[in-house]
Amino acid sequence: MHYLFQGIRKNLFAILILTPAFLYLAGFLLIILFKVTALALTEAGPEGAIFPSAVNFITLAGNPEFREALIRTVWFTLIGTPLELFTGIAAAFLVVEEFRGRGIIRSVLVLPLAVPAIVTAIILYILFDYPGGHINDIITGRHSFFPFQVLSYPINWRGSGFFALMVSLFGKVWRDMPISMLIILAGLQAINRDQLEAAATLGATALQRFMRITLPLLAPAIATVLVLRSIELWKEFIFPFILAGSYPLLSTLIERAYHEWRNPREASAIALILLLLIILSTVLIFYTLKWLRKRLVRI
Amino acid sequence: MKKTRATKWVWLTGMVVMIGIVMAPLFMMVKYSISDRSSVVTGGAVIPLWPYHPTLEQFRALAAMDRFAEAALTSLEIALLSVVISLIIGTPAAYALVRHRFPGALVLATFLISVRFFPDIVSVIPIVETFTTVGLVNSVAGVAMAHSLLSIPYVIFIAMGVFEAIPRDLDEQAQVLGASKAYSFIRVILPVALPGLAAASIYVFLLSWDEFIFAYFLLIFGDLSTLPVLLQKILSWTPQHNLLAAISVMLSIPVILFTFIVQKYMQTGATAGAIK
Repeated sequence: MHYLFQGIRKNLFAILILTPAFLYLAGFLLIILFKVTALALTEAGPEGAIFPSAVNFITLAGNPEFREALIRTVWFTLIGTPLELFTGIAAAFLVVEEFRGRGIIRSVLVLPLAVPAIVTAIILYILFDYPGGHINDIITGRHSFFPFQVLSYPINWRGSGFFALMVSLFGKVWRDMPISMLIILAGLQAINRDQLEAAATLGATALQRFMRITLPLLAPAIATVLVLRSIELWKEFIFPFILAGSYPLLSTLIERAYHEWRNPREASAIALILLLLIILSTVLIFYTLKWLRKRLVRI
Repeated sequence: MKKTRATKWVWLTGMVVMIGIVMAPLFMMVKYSISDRSSVVTGGAVIPLWPYHPTLEQFRALAAMDRFAEAALTSLEIALLSVVISLIIGTPAAYALVRHRFPGALVLATFLISVRFFPDIVSVIPIVETFTTVGLVNSVAGVAMAHSLLSIPYVIFIAMGVFEAIPRDLDEQAQVLGASKAYSFIRVILPVALPGLAAASIYVFLLSWDEFIFAYFLLIFGDLSTLPVLLQKILSWTPQHNLLAAISVMLSIPVILFTFIVQKYMQTGATAGAIK
């Protein structure tokens, strides 16, 4: 007890200036977790609220709109995560070697990060307009610089679930590319070049060097990109909200449940399911990568 | 390593494609914002790649549009208030976490920073429900508080880096000379940390300036709008594309400008010559 008091007295200043931040963040987090769980487990019965109740989850399970949103979200993330990784790796490999104007090129490639997500979504909304947007003009061969007619009729991008989500995914990957690029770039620059040169001298082909040296050493950076990007994709809201309004993902279904169905309890239930999915997938990716890394390093 | 001719060509092609994909949407945004009516409403004809008569009339229209000015002002107020809240709360906490290595400091720092990873779309409904009961919906303060929740972890993270770069001797020398802990923090350390903290505050400003989810859920049923919310609201009137693009340009300019300023700021050594 005496030691505890002494410890508090010695660190009084530190404790004092830490408290506001701790109270703000932990307080909000507690309120959020408490409220979202309480709402999700409450049933609005005719004679007042019933708690706890699983009725919101049961209603959702029987709701085709929820099931479709769940399936869409899963494949949105499954396609998007590797796409984010590949664009990041491609961009990083373009600027990793020294060349004239490298600084400027790198600044240009970081530009998408500086464009607000809502602006990117609006630009894509304009470009993928139907029937007369730029993209439709190009694929129907109406521009003189691209005289190939890919399709004879324009595509209604926002009128089809597949195309609407593909356009959303394009926007998301476009805007996030710099983050993935910078993480991979940092990983690449940490690799000792002597190792690669030694392997080359010993006769390793470019492919062998990449598979046996670069890739295993890049694994931590790749893991970071995969974990961060998959979380982002699970909860992506702005792009599907603007570009795929009629084809909700779980995140946009939360908005719909809250504003259109006027049902904060079901909205909270969806939010809770989304949170569980994010935690599950993060744990899964983490352990898969750990296992993979073990196998790669053993070679 | 020696580069063959083939790899050089692959590299060059990749570079051209990548820069093309990165620049095309930005070019289109600028192009649409300076388009005149005849280059946007073409009545079925091909939309030109460069407007027939480039004009700044959309920007003039925005200057005369009350809703735009109000939204820009609201965005500015919310962003500045978020900067104030998150710097006042976050900076001291970062200093305590770096300088006072009490047991559990690292765990605490990890916890505080990882609040950032909590999905915003999950936290938005509990926050709106709570703010409704205490009257913070439809208010500048409410949105700024929500934005601070996102930005305080960032401030702690950036400021911890800033304080770690300041030599410990500086605190100790000040305290040997008789300054209290609070005095040495406020009068000695903070001035040295100022450039780094300026970068952090620009970061918070930008985060709030283009944040959409919290602003949208908290402001949807009122007359207040931030610029991103205004963009979304205007979208439902099916406006002309050049107006949308003009607002987009106005919304992006501060972000693009500040991002480059912060990049430079981060590289200048903040502590050079602080210790004698």
